[in-house]
Amino acid sequence: MATDKTTLFPEISRRKALGLMAATGAGLAVPALIGRGSALAAAPDKPTGQLIVGFSQEPTVFNPHLLHIEVDEGVHFAIFDPLFNVDPDGKFTPALAAEVPTVENGGISADGLNWKIKLRDGVKWHDGQPFTAEDVKFTLDLMVEPDFRSWRRAGHDLVRDIKVVSPTEITWRMEKTYAPYPSILASTFIVPKHALGEAADKNTAPFNNAPIGTGAFKWGKRVAGDHIELLANADYFGEGPYLERVIIKYIPDLNVLYTQFKSGDIDITGLQWITPDHYEEAKGLADREVQLVAGSTVESFTLNMGKPQFKDPAVRAALYHAIDKQAIIDALYYGLPTPTETYMPQQSFYYNPDLPKHEFSLEKAKAVLDGAGWVAGGDGVRAKDGVKLAFTCSTTAGNHIREQAQQFIQQSFKDIGVEMTISNLPPAVMWGDYWMTSQFDSVIVGIDFLTGPDPDTSDYFASTSSVATGGAGQNTWQYHSSEVDKLLQEGGNSLVPDERKASYMKLQEVVRNDLPLLPLFQYTTVRGRKKGLMGFTPNVNNRIDTWNVGTWYWEG
Amino acid sequence: MSTVTPANLDLPPENWWRSRTARRFRRHRLAMFGVVMIAVLTIACVLGPYVLPYDQLFIDLRARFAPPMTGGHIFGTDPLGRDVAARLFHAGRISLLVGFCAMLISIVIGTVIGVLSGYYGGRVDAALMRFTDAFLSFPSIFLLLALAAFIRPDPLMITVIIAVTTWMEVARIVSTEVRSLRERDFILAAHMLGLSNSWIMFRELLPNAIGPIIVAATLTVARAILLEAYVSFLGYGIQPPLPSWGNMLNGAQQYLGSAPWLAIVPGIAITLAVTSFNFIGDGLRDALDARSDLS
Amino acid sequence: MLRYIVGRIGQSLVLLFLVSIIGYFVLLLAPGGPMSQFALTPGISKQDLDRIAEQMGLNRPIIVQYADWLWHLLQGDWGASFRDNRPVLTVILDHLPATLLLMGSATAIAMTLGVWIGIMGAIRRYSIFDYAATVGAMIALSVPTFWFGLIAIYVFSLNLGWFPAGNMYTIGSGSVGDVLWHLVLPASVLALVDVAIWSRYMRTATLDVINQDFIKTARAKGLSARRVLFKHVVGNALLPMITLAGLQVPALLGGALVTETVFTWPGMGRLFLDSLGYNDYPVVMGLLMFSAVLVLIGNLLADLISAFVDPRIRLA
Repeated sequence: MATDKTTLFPEISRRKALGLMAATGAGLAVPALIGRGSALAAAPDKPTGQLIVGFSQEPTVFNPHLLHIEVDEGVHFAIFDPLFNVDPDGKFTPALAAEVPTVENGGISADGLNWKIKLRDGVKWHDGQPFTAEDVKFTLDLMVEPDFRSWRRAGHDLVRDIKVVSPTEITWRMEKTYAPYPSILASTFIVPKHALGEAADKNTAPFNNAPIGTGAFKWGKRVAGDHIELLANADYFGEGPYLERVIIKYIPDLNVLYTQFKSGDIDITGLQWITPDHYEEAKGLADREVQLVAGSTVESFTLNMGKPQFKDPAVRAALYHAIDKQAIIDALYYGLPTPTETYMPQQSFYYNPDLPKHEFSLEKAKAVLDGAGWVAGGDGVRAKDGVKLAFTCSTTAGNHIREQAQQFIQQSFKDIGVEMTISNLPPAVMWGDYWMTSQFDSVIVGIDFLTGPDPDTSDYFASTSSVATGGAGQNTWQYHSSEVDKLLQEGGNSLVPDERKASYMKLQEVVRNDLPLLPLFQYTTVRGRKKGLMGFTPNVNNRIDTWNVGTWYWEG
Repeated sequence: MSTVTPANLDLPPENWWRSRTARRFRRHRLAMFGVVMIAVLTIACVLGPYVLPYDQLFIDLRARFAPPMTGGHIFGTDPLGRDVAARLFHAGRISLLVGFCAMLISIVIGTVIGVLSGYYGGRVDAALMRFTDAFLSFPSIFLLLALAAFIRPDPLMITVIIAVTTWMEVARIVSTEVRSLRERDFILAAHMLGLSNSWIMFRELLPNAIGPIIVAATLTVARAILLEAYVSFLGYGIQPPLPSWGNMLNGAQQYLGSAPWLAIVPGIAITLAVTSFNFIGDGLRDALDARSDLS
Repeated sequence: MLRYIVGRIGQSLVLLFLVSIIGYFVLLLAPGGPMSQFALTPGISKQDLDRIAEQMGLNRPIIVQYADWLWHLLQGDWGASFRDNRPVLTVILDHLPATLLLMGSATAIAMTLGVWIGIMGAIRRYSIFDYAATVGAMIALSVPTFWFGLIAIYVFSLNLGWFPAGNMYTIGSGSVGDVLWHLVLPASVLALVDVAIWSRYMRTATLDVINQDFIKTARAKGLSARRVLFKHVVGNALLPMITLAGLQVPALLGGALVTETVFTWPGMGRLFLDSLGYNDYPVVMGLLMFSAVLVLIGNLLADLISAFVDPRIRLA
């Protein structure tokens, strides 16, 4: 394909975009294989060379159990290990655990209540101390310690009677079956008891700014506001590390991030990667590999069903018809994202591909509204029973492309007699009570609905998860359906994926039909790296590219 | 705002145009340039949208990023294919209005504080001026951002916030002016006549301090337009789709290489407006300064 | 003199107190909070966020939080950043050198250019140069700094490719030359406004001096015009210049904030915007206080120098 560099605004057709996706999808498998097995011979015998990763946000929280943002996990994954990891297919692979506990191998009891984990022997912390089951116990206890500002207690608060059977074996009991717990454990990094346990205040312990882990890389140093240096851990128990040094460079501007990738100042673009408008140019760069990678975030136009305008299913269906998804994807996002009908990432084992396809048609939208009795008033805005089809739409101020999509949707809605007023807010205001207590009318938002690979979305869809109606969770669209509750219950009762699948397939169907949120697309990110960097493996189940940086190396 | 009429300049209105002040002002070439420029900008912003073939809100994704002078778009189109010229004029209405209203509020706050502090002197003066200093101690853009980041950014709030960060200079000027007028004979006479404090402050003192206030007002408009641009550029100001000169520039940096007109056009508009108001302010200051005739 | 200084410092402390109250209440009374940014983190729940807010003491009455913050501040404890728990003062001091470098270079450029333009304008009063300088200064004062920055990037970086479009140094290099190369555009952009102010000031100052008797005497004694000018004019204007520099601190800080944003310069301005985005109250408050202190020191020095030069002021 000839790349005309002067064509700044390529019209990427849907088919072409899908083709690209398919092509990269196929290409995905190759580096995955290389990174994990066959090509090991090509990896250097001892750590050599350095890697510079560019992030557009600055990692600042190095204790993985304190409240942090996704970019911090770039450091966590390099320094620490969980008991087991999640691979790109959503399967668990052992890390500090000698074997992934399952119902089949007896690690978890059939009712999901009793857990027994065998740990890897001979693992050492970066400071030379041996890793033992005491550290695992310490970590699990820490998560629920009253004074510790643990970022997440869900699941951990159900753990009881932790017993250290031997230095390499630990058991516990769960208060009740909690299906997402394996996924939560896969992102629960084990921290050393000897280094953190003695601290008077674990929230401010020195450890938090000079972490000690078991991971492939050791903490080097941090130059605040600029970069973090990680050094190879020669004693690492797993595969790798093959790199002598990893430098995480903070570049607070995506344009500059791209420029530095282009000039070769950074070896790989991390979060937030290459902006869609640069994709066409990036593809043509010499000695660079540019790859489209599906993210797990799903963009949707969410409706607050607590508001009278949105109680009528016809309104929700009509609005969905009125959104020209494809135009938004093609023109504003340069054809990169994949249209979707569900909140579930398409790479998930639980993804339902057979949902009804969205059809953009202003005529249909009008017909649906006419049929439901919403008639236009003198001002051209439809109304029914004294309820005007007028509402506000909010999103985070400063997200330019999304703001453009919002204004585009506003115009389409106007055409069908719906008045949408834009009311964007600074992030701090937007995601505070305004969002949590359902004060909004409608919101455009990108949400990663899953916890790692786990399909449980009770926090977003259970009737008891709306703060506005006295619940706890993020069912901020106030979508209350007994059928959904039942399906969530069913799916959450088992720890065996094949048993759970049916519930979640059905759940997606119900949500697609009820449309509490109008699904727009699943994000596709443009990730670039220098040619010759091996081991890079996109993983939709982790939030960070460097999740397996220990196995990366330079070719030749 | 009855106090800001020519009558308060102690001159009958019909003679004002021929007064020495007015003559000096008319001779000030830059000031006259400013007046003409502001008039042109205002007319363009008011009438422009009716003349142009495109609606500022009309989105046409097929026509996105059209360069200037193509397809009937004199200033090109933006990332949504909207006509930049139409948006520029609409934005001008908002930006000029915000600038003007912010100035009015700012002048009222500044004048009240300035008059009170200048008139009462002593502890009142000390307290009010320390308060003023406290505001001056913030680099105003810091304060402005801190305020704007946490308040729903509609034009009214932005106007108020800008006013809140620009009244200090006015207060200082008025205070100094009033303090020097306070000891004059006519004020002493007013005291002897038993006129109330508020009467003396706002009916006797204020009209005599109107010259510097008008100058400050003009410069404050310039400053307010500039501040709106800063805050909106940083994303904390007026929110799209409502256009303002500042928010048209927000995001323009991203397209600097591919669609530079998105940055150039609104920037020129801001610079023109602000420069013009500054020219006018400068001209007024010279005109009101009787000494300038001597030199 | 001592009494005057003590009095002024006392006043400054009262001012700082006021600044802190205004800043703190503006920040904390606003809707949202530091937990908001985590709302969409996968797997995190509202209960977690509420609990952490409580553990951090964020749901105490605002007056209590303020008193607590002030009490610690009085003991020299500026608090810790919500983002990485490092002491606020350390965080600020980390970013200070970049800002000082930028502000210092800008001031150096502005003084050199401004003084020269001002003196030339005064000597050739009402010449085309003088007129152009006057108009130029007015325009410079009217151009939004960030826009000037954008245009500079467009012309000198994107089109001509002379200078980098942002950052303080090339990764892996960071040599003095490299930093200077990165410094040129942002420092020039930030200097623009100050060139205008300095040139206006110097023009007036020069005109004042030129008309004074001792200059006329010096000229009469046969000293060269140039020597007289630079020795006496600049010499006489120097102290007031420092005063002006002091008074320029707040404007310069504000300008630096915008310039740092446009050029992704890792200084205090960027830190401020970042911290604002993260609702990192301790750092935002720290920066407000820190910049207020800088401004007050600037003012205080300016006043002291004036008082030193002009004894009458001491009586006031």
